[in-house]
Amino acid sequence: MRAENYQAVTHPESHEFELNFGPNHPGIEGNYALKVRVNGDKIVAAKADGGYLHRGFEKLMEGRLWIQNIALVPRICVPDPVPMEMCYALGVEDLCQFEVPERANWLRVLQLELSRIAAHLFTFGGHAATVGMYSNMFWGIADRDLILDMFEQMTGGRVYHMYTIPGGVRRDVGVEQLDKISDLLDYLEKRLSDYDNLFFNNKIFIQRARDTGILTPKQALSWGVTGPNLRACGLAFDVRRDDAYLCYDQIDFDIATETAGDALARNLVRRKELAQSIYIVRQVIDYLKKDKSTHIRCQIPNPLAWKVPAGETYTRVESSKGELSFYIVSNGGEKPYRVHVRGPSSMHAVQVLEKLVTGGRLEDVAQIMFSLDACPPEVDR
Amino acid sequence: MKDVIPIQTNNTETIAVSKNSKNIYQQAIDTFSNFCRARSLFVLHYCTGCGAIELPPAMTSRFDMERLGIQPMVTPRQADILLITGYVSIKTLKRVILTYEQMQGPKYVIGICSCTVNGGMYWQSYATAKVLSEYLPVDMYIAGCMPRPEAVLTGLQQLMKKIEKGEANSWENYFKRYDYYLGNQQHLFGDTWHTPTDILEEARHYHLYGAESTGNNTARLIKYTVEHDLTKLDAPLREKDSMTKRGKK
Repeated sequence: MRAENYQAVTHPESHEFELNFGPNHPGIEGNYALKVRVNGDKIVAAKADGGYLHRGFEKLMEGRLWIQNIALVPRICVPDPVPMEMCYALGVEDLCQFEVPERANWLRVLQLELSRIAAHLFTFGGHAATVGMYSNMFWGIADRDLILDMFEQMTGGRVYHMYTIPGGVRRDVGVEQLDKISDLLDYLEKRLSDYDNLFFNNKIFIQRARDTGILTPKQALSWGVTGPNLRACGLAFDVRRDDAYLCYDQIDFDIATETAGDALARNLVRRKELAQSIYIVRQVIDYLKKDKSTHIRCQIPNPLAWKVPAGETYTRVESSKGELSFYIVSNGGEKPYRVHVRGPSSMHAVQVLEKLVTGGRLEDVAQIMFSLDACPPEVDR
Repeated sequence: MKDVIPIQTNNTETIAVSKNSKNIYQQAIDTFSNFCRARSLFVLHYCTGCGAIELPPAMTSRFDMERLGIQPMVTPRQADILLITGYVSIKTLKRVILTYEQMQGPKYVIGICSCTVNGGMYWQSYATAKVLSEYLPVDMYIAGCMPRPEAVLTGLQQLMKKIEKGEANSWENYFKRYDYYLGNQQHLFGDTWHTPTDILEEARHYHLYGAESTGNNTARLIKYTVEHDLTKLDAPLREKDSMTKRGKK
């Protein structure tokens, strides 16, 4: 080559560029965004960009009656709404010193565990889609729909139920309905082996998910990780056992753990929890069939002039995403004075996701987000 | 923020182009293309709120949107339908408008859930936009909190019928009455609100430029773009482009 024809290739100073990952992106879970700085397909830095779903829940709740808030709280987390109303109801009951009937507590556990199964099926499906396995997504959503049918028959609502109210539950569940749920559980148990064959033992999934987004126990504790993500690091903490609410202390179940702390371990924990939840629901059905009482809620005052005694309370429950807590302050009025919601996803989707994604590759961003099971409406509230 | 804008009542009825102005061949082509268009719809996959949770069942095996010829699409430029599923916070609304302006006409907007109709559950929230049709021309609302997948499918089928008859023309309103929509957007986002798309230029291109396309609000936008010289922003790109062409020679 002649020297005058040679032009030195000048690179820019850096190959890095910034990529907006979301909010309108198929790989992101809901209306949420990440600003990732990439070098090739390697991620140098990531910044979470939330706030697309902000509605100002804590302020909205201050402007509504105690009874009106029952309809508002499930909207905080869309895929798993039951723990929200449960946690709110526990808080109000604590302030009002209500004596909740035993049967109502068991009915609530039935709702909570069915909701957990539905949420986990949805998460598997989403995670499978991010590694290119769409059949599992179709199966997961179809099976989740069967649980939504049960919800509809029990409560009248498919997604939002407003079934749990402070003082008890709204309706009783008959024996026929319990038989239907029992049949559904048989079906789901059969399907679990199908899911294992299709997804959890699948080489494609295992190779993609293993050693992706590793979280050490020390990091998990210092970053405020809870729920299945914490248990995937080998720490067996579960609010259902360690701070038992409702009738979980009378129920036999194991706490599923894994030790690896990567995306695979987080999914395997959810897979084990699915089996545990089915086991719990079976015990609840046995109890409800034997129990002959029809007392499902205690006497509550006139809802339109309901004044909750002054005081403050902190309640927590185990949602499918992690530990969910409500801090409720009442000044003796008809409306809450202050409500604070501690959603598990706000830790998972902001600080944990940013750090796990950094240093990884672009194609794993969606996978890590789904493996953390972050719920954007709950992050922004 | 600025002077009070006269909020006009949103007239959703489109000003139909008189059929007499088209000859018989053009009419036949229109009828045929509407027939085809109604049977192949791509829905933009943008989940703005709670209602997005009922779309996966509607799209997948149980309710199966695909048997109607409707499929999800991930890019705005290839999509026909913009589904607004639920409440739209102000931060999201900016992205929704940018997305809508990128879509190619004819395009349709469906507001799902009560929140898009009148604010719904969040009517007193400081963070959400209440009435969607003030900011974008909406073809159809599907009310409910949240509407069931059957309701979503019925709504889509009604939209298909509308498209086939050639009645789903509210996207033309965005060009014909751009001043109204821009005014409401400016009311929410401030006077400096502007998007990369030159809607007035597109309106002239589509022959939809009308008396209501311009007004006080577009004058404010034009003044802002001239003051800040936004036309210069893509000048370096153009220069670079011409340099590479010269290099090839």
